[in-house]
Amino acid sequence: MNKIKSFLETKIFFDQYLFISIALISIIGVFFLFSASQGNFETTIKQSLFVLLGLILMFAVSQPDPDFFKNNALIFMLFSIFLVLLTFLIGKEVNGAKRWLDLGFLTLQSSEIMKITLPLFLAAYLYNKPLPISLFHTFITLALILFSANIVRIQPDLGTSLVILVAGLYILFLAGLSWKFITVSIVIFIFSLPFIWNNFLEPFQKQRILTLLDPSADPFGSGWNIAQSKIAIGSGGLGGKGYQMGSQGHLDFLPEAETDFIFSVIAEEFGFIGVCILLSIFLFILLRCFYLAINARDRFCRLTIGGLSLLFLSTIFINLAMVVGIIPVVGMPLPFISKGGSSLLSFYIAFGIIISMSTHKKLMQK
Amino acid sequence: MIDLNERISEKKNFFNRLIIVYIFFGFLFTYFIYRIFSLQISSYSDYEIASLKNKTREILIQPMRGIIYDRNGEIIVNNVPSYNLITNPSGILNIDELILEISKIISLSNNDIKNIKEKFFLRKKLNRELVLKRNLTVEEIAKFKVRNYKFPNVFIAERYTRQNLYPFLFSHSIGYVGSPSEEYIEEVMLEQNQTIKETIFKYSNGFLIGKTGLENIYDKELRGIYGTKIYEVDASGRLLEEKSITKPVNGLDIHTSLDIRSQKIAHEKLKNRRGAVVAVEISNGAILTYVSSPSFSVNKISNGLSQNEFNDLLNDEDKPFFDRAGQGRYSPASTIKPAIGLFGLDKNLINWAYTINDPGYFILPEDGRVYRGWKENGHGNINVSDAIIESSNTFFFSLAYRSEIDELVDHLSNFGFGKNICVDCFLPDKGLLPTPEWKMNTHNFGWYKGDTVNLGVGQGYLSATPIQLAYYSAFLANKGELSDFSFVQNKENNGKTVFFTNQINEKDWKKIHESMIGVIESPKGTAGRLKILKDYIIAAKSGTVELVSTDTKDDYKIIREIEGQRDHAIIIAFGPMPNPKYAVSVVIENGESGGSVAGPVAIEVLNALVNNE
Repeated sequence: MNKIKSFLETKIFFDQYLFISIALISIIGVFFLFSASQGNFETTIKQSLFVLLGLILMFAVSQPDPDFFKNNALIFMLFSIFLVLLTFLIGKEVNGAKRWLDLGFLTLQSSEIMKITLPLFLAAYLYNKPLPISLFHTFITLALILFSANIVRIQPDLGTSLVILVAGLYILFLAGLSWKFITVSIVIFIFSLPFIWNNFLEPFQKQRILTLLDPSADPFGSGWNIAQSKIAIGSGGLGGKGYQMGSQGHLDFLPEAETDFIFSVIAEEFGFIGVCILLSIFLFILLRCFYLAINARDRFCRLTIGGLSLLFLSTIFINLAMVVGIIPVVGMPLPFISKGGSSLLSFYIAFGIIISMSTHKKLMQK
Repeated sequence: MIDLNERISEKKNFFNRLIIVYIFFGFLFTYFIYRIFSLQISSYSDYEIASLKNKTREILIQPMRGIIYDRNGEIIVNNVPSYNLITNPSGILNIDELILEISKIISLSNNDIKNIKEKFFLRKKLNRELVLKRNLTVEEIAKFKVRNYKFPNVFIAERYTRQNLYPFLFSHSIGYVGSPSEEYIEEVMLEQNQTIKETIFKYSNGFLIGKTGLENIYDKELRGIYGTKIYEVDASGRLLEEKSITKPVNGLDIHTSLDIRSQKIAHEKLKNRRGAVVAVEISNGAILTYVSSPSFSVNKISNGLSQNEFNDLLNDEDKPFFDRAGQGRYSPASTIKPAIGLFGLDKNLINWAYTINDPGYFILPEDGRVYRGWKENGHGNINVSDAIIESSNTFFFSLAYRSEIDELVDHLSNFGFGKNICVDCFLPDKGLLPTPEWKMNTHNFGWYKGDTVNLGVGQGYLSATPIQLAYYSAFLANKGELSDFSFVQNKENNGKTVFFTNQINEKDWKKIHESMIGVIESPKGTAGRLKILKDYIIAAKSGTVELVSTDTKDDYKIIREIEGQRDHAIIIAFGPMPNPKYAVSVVIENGESGGSVAGPVAIEVLNALVNNE
């Protein structure tokens, strides 16, 4: 008995808190998706298979020692850049955007992989640099972040590119970027905003931002989505309209109900109480990550756990802020809930890495 | 390698920075929760209403207009069904196939087919009905009915048209319906606490309003109240499920005092000549006959008329749209004489024994101008009674000459001249009762004595519509007391005019009636030939309206070569005497003789009313 327990502790790497809470939220997600897809069995079964695959993948990824990820970070990084570039050549074009690689059983969104490999590589690059990070390393890191974010942006996939950008910046920040540099950057950023507005944003992106400032000015254009989403959320009230009873979701008023706006469906059908329960599970996962990050065995693990968990946090926040109209519609799924293969699997992998980093103890005798 | 101190400070630094980011997001999430709270809890009812509004669509249901009856309860205006072939496109997979199958039993024109194909996909998407063919014939209906089982998604539905069963008889009294303007629909909807929206129509022509006549005057009563159907809809506007229905309330039926039989007689006897007939029931002012000629078919106007047909009507020189009965202005001519006689008696200018010598003309002392009568050598010594019977102009010229114009105008206004005497007529004209002020304002001339003299024989500026003449006739018949005229007698505030006088008594009224009876019955009467047209006693006064002033009969022969210069024929009459029930007025433009041309029409109309009792 003791033998088995000790075997499990030393050979099997498993964090029951994260595993159970992620499995729980995934199951809840499938349950919600069934309603959001208006009872579409194909979508629901497909999503269930992804969840199952994801959980297995998460378990598998958490088995190797963190050093494996540290040592191979460069290979992963190069591989993901290769995949993104490959997408430009043989990618599947949908609505004028080339984001997907057709793998037969799965259309892989290549940028989703970069979302993980970039923070991982940056952590591996920066973990042994003296504090504060020198200007040279800062610029190397920034160049890599901007390069990665930019090749995704021109796909175009603004949402994912933003996430890649912030994920990279988190690592840089957590690794000990000097405060002086941060202050100067923020000042420069603010002064260059008009320049960015005029030169880097597509007209439809500008429109989204303008719509955000005054959604009523354009009720049936870009503002329509936000307005309908607000109606869905607001009409849910305290207790919601009941499972599969949401009229906004079921009568097609909500756009992208299965992906970007699935939170609105949940809020409509389960009300404020349902929203609070859902958010508590997310909060639990985040707090667990925080605990794991500060107790990690070394600087590489700390940076990786911190960076990936902030990536998770940012994705959730961007999605939630989008559906209630705090920020423009950018196309961001709600992790573990929204329909979609690549983004779903990428988070299972991310948590697999987090579990690996937190469960493998450093062999002190080495 | 990094030493221990450095490791500790690095760990502390990491902890601080992670905390900063978590706190930053903590604030953002707090704000997010606040937003969700304000949406779901604070503004819940607003959003609940918005969501309800989103998913429900209210559709109006048109009510049916009320039916219009005549005084005997016979229908004049009805809603007549026509049958349309309709499909529910949601159940149709291949429209071309359906068109092919339908064409085998019911012929579809190329236009029909084009129309069907154009509308099919949108109607299908929105789950709305699509009309395949309008106005099916009985044969087509029968053909379809036996093969109904082949077409589960096709059915026959009723749509109505507004039909006047006597399309030419009531064109000016009841009028016609048509499509209202957007503003008018809005007004109606506002009145019924609705807004303009998708509507299920009962009528083929959609929204209807009364454009003229009683259809217009009683539009509000006839119109009814719109019902509503509430559907659940999806974001694309597709109807999903009927949730509730509030049935429309059909318009009120209207029972008029119009009499189909006399209306028909009047129309026939006018023989499409330009003119008008109005007949009323004296006791309550109910309009029984109201005909303007020539007429037009209201059904064509209501249910679609080609532009050419419409232009023909508009450009017709006889102006069929013009309501001569209520808007045509004619000089009363000699028909005014009983009223002038009454004026003389009332003001003590004459009495029944008073006579003058009538040499055939009257000379105005002021300027020596000659006013002629119709009889070359005059009527000799004549009193007022004979002056009415024989229609002496000289008698009334000289009586008018002795009258104060202001008093005379006051007197005549009692008889309905110069004012609206109808409660529910469509755009009634007031005619003209001229006064010195009016002349000064419009012609910039003072009032001459000669104007008053002309007024004495109903010529000059004085003009009246046929319905005013009928009122005048009824007022004489009822001895100076009369209700305002109306087509529908349910108004409580029906006005009544009473002639106040100290001088005129029952005996005087009787003598006036006797004089007017004499117009037909006396050997000297001007309308003696009407005597044989009836078997009861009628009082009347004919008139001949001079359009061109001539001095001799020969001169008139010259001007009558042009039809439009011929005299108008005019008559007022009431009967049966001695207790008259009906009064009538007839005007026939360029008919030349009041007694022999307008007279027979008046008698026939009275016959129709009297014999129908």
